[in-house]
Amino acid sequence: MTARARLEQLKQQFGTSILRADLPSDTRLFVHVEPSAVKPICRHIFRDFDARYVISIGIDDRPFSGTFLVAHDFAFDKEHLLCSVLTQLSPENPKIDSISDVIPAASWAEREMRDLVGIEPVGHPYPKRLVLPDGWPDGLHPLRKDVSWDHVPKDFDEDREFKFDDPPEGCTVVPFGPFHPTLDEPAHFRLYVEGEMVRGCEYRGFMVHRGIEKLAESVMSYNDIPMLAERICGICGCVHSVTYAQSVESAVAIHPPARAEYIRTIMLELERLHSHLLWVGLACHIVGFDTLFMQSFRIREPIMWIAEKISGNRKTYSMCLIGGVRSDIAPETKAELRAVLDKLENEWRPVVAAVSKDRNIQKRTRDVGVADKKLVKERGLVGPVARAAGVDIDCRRDHPYAAYDRLEFDVITEQGSDVWSRVLVRAKEVFESIRIIRQCLEKMEDGPIQLEIKDELPAGRLGLSSVEAPRGESHHFVITGENNRPRRWRVRAPTYQNLQAVPAMIKDQQIADMTISLGSIDPCFSCTDRLETIDLRSGKVRVWSQDELLALTRKKA
Amino acid sequence: MSVRSKLEEAVICLKAGRVTLPYPAQPRPVPENFRGRPIFDAAKCIGCAGCANNCTARAVLVSDVCQEIRILKYVGSRCTYCGRCAEVCPEKAITMSHEFEIATGSALDLDQRLEIFMSTCQRCGRCFVEPSPLEQLKMKGYRFDDLQNDRWIFRSRAFLENDTVVDDIAIELD
Repeated sequence: MTARARLEQLKQQFGTSILRADLPSDTRLFVHVEPSAVKPICRHIFRDFDARYVISIGIDDRPFSGTFLVAHDFAFDKEHLLCSVLTQLSPENPKIDSISDVIPAASWAEREMRDLVGIEPVGHPYPKRLVLPDGWPDGLHPLRKDVSWDHVPKDFDEDREFKFDDPPEGCTVVPFGPFHPTLDEPAHFRLYVEGEMVRGCEYRGFMVHRGIEKLAESVMSYNDIPMLAERICGICGCVHSVTYAQSVESAVAIHPPARAEYIRTIMLELERLHSHLLWVGLACHIVGFDTLFMQSFRIREPIMWIAEKISGNRKTYSMCLIGGVRSDIAPETKAELRAVLDKLENEWRPVVAAVSKDRNIQKRTRDVGVADKKLVKERGLVGPVARAAGVDIDCRRDHPYAAYDRLEFDVITEQGSDVWSRVLVRAKEVFESIRIIRQCLEKMEDGPIQLEIKDELPAGRLGLSSVEAPRGESHHFVITGENNRPRRWRVRAPTYQNLQAVPAMIKDQQIADMTISLGSIDPCFSCTDRLETIDLRSGKVRVWSQDELLALTRKKA
Repeated sequence: MSVRSKLEEAVICLKAGRVTLPYPAQPRPVPENFRGRPIFDAAKCIGCAGCANNCTARAVLVSDVCQEIRILKYVGSRCTYCGRCAEVCPEKAITMSHEFEIATGSALDLDQRLEIFMSTCQRCGRCFVEPSPLEQLKMKGYRFDDLQNDRWIFRSRAFLENDTVVDDIAIELD
């Protein structure tokens, strides 16, 4: 079904509630609706059209249209369509009906909207602070345009404590994190434990929220942001820079040259290769199998080196700009890349063969961290977590971007819904990535790698882009703006959705399985605000405050 | 059979042999286009401030001490080595070197400071060749970044003096 047909269906059902619609292409649909109709329309799209929920975005548009905007993004995966439902809210006291009770996946996005933009989701089942730090004053919303990017609230209350929920009767609280040996980044789970069994948990994260969106919207320029976007994640950075560039490109309808698209594809797949190998290594490390951890890192290293050769850096490629890429792949590098892929394939095959029969790993991962089809739908799970539950979604095929529409590859799915299936999905996807890069090297033709942009980008255009990151779909929403920078840029990393399902995944299983369950979504949180030092001789505890720590780190040597 | 898979895994390990490189005794040579510490060449620099305007990390600061002298300060500790400065420099005065062992006890060791003779330039922004409109100068006219505290100041003198025109060039006020 085409975008137009979907729009007609919506019009029949909701008539005058739909104010206007934009169909910039066959793959994008923007529907502007009455605020009161947002909830029924979203429910209709999610339940009756069976679309996948992507993200909700709150936008302070007061300087331009005098209103607040809310957008709910959905993906029609089989129809190659990304759809956004937008509505305008009054500038005073913006409120919107919460959709979280009909679409549980929207819970975090709405809480974030409430924290950062101050749009109240009326009827939200769990309206608790999500993103802002504990001491942040109420009523100050950092993503509003009247708050400057470098604003430091004077009434920040250092001593204010976050109110955690009471554990259910009969349960003890076991804190997991903010720092935990198996987490590379800080996140805090309060596990409610009954004996050995986890009965529930409360999550408090966003400790490394760095205000990247605000920075981009207020001081950076279009071509600065890819480098910033790349630093959203230390593993799938290239994914974010490409997603950002594509969302701007889709907003202003510019198309990068074919060779640039192939190079982007190659870099994205190189990133997936190193990420999957890293993940398999880390997953083995979490279950205590360090031999394979060492071997996957050894096998991974040549990929880092070839990426360094192509881009100039082993991880932060800084390759992507709007309208193309920065560096070309030389013919001799091509040959070298082929050799690296051959070696990788030869080395990875025996590893997969050995691991897939290893009963020790299976004992630790089978029927652990189960996320079934229903959870995938309700929570909007993406990537290997969804594919391991038999949900056949992959943005590379469903929402083709870069050069993927010209390439052949299989989407790997498994049926087990557990951690073991996720291991298998990732292990097999490595071979698909190798296949994709080989085809790219074969098919890419000579030509320019950067589109010549002659005019400034027009303001007020909407752009969406989804890219299949190693962890799942990374989705960016952009409104182009004045002064050579976007008005609004919203990033939704795959972990944003997947992490919301962790409480359901770890429920009623042993506490020892918590680490691998969490590890199996390949979580990507991303610095700290407090540190405690203990003088061992006197046993005196000194708690360093945030200010003291900042002063310490900024002190020049 | 789990024993068999254990044996297979042992073979994988044995086959690999020793892979650790003898670093730092013999550092691995870096590729040709490696982006290490940028080196600023004062002899080639014309002081257009294109690098400062397109630095994603705001690691290049500009301060005009008088009509003739412009100071460019590169704050090395803030650099992310993306190489955009070298790319947009119209005079190719910046090269991304192959230096990567730049750990130091003092962050100031990484800084570079250029004092450029500006002739009679009015800081119009014309000498910076924009690769595309996306790389335009954010600020034309005289600039007074805070070199002491390594801070960008989003104001030109035109702003401070409430003057919208420098020479014949209209200045955008923030």
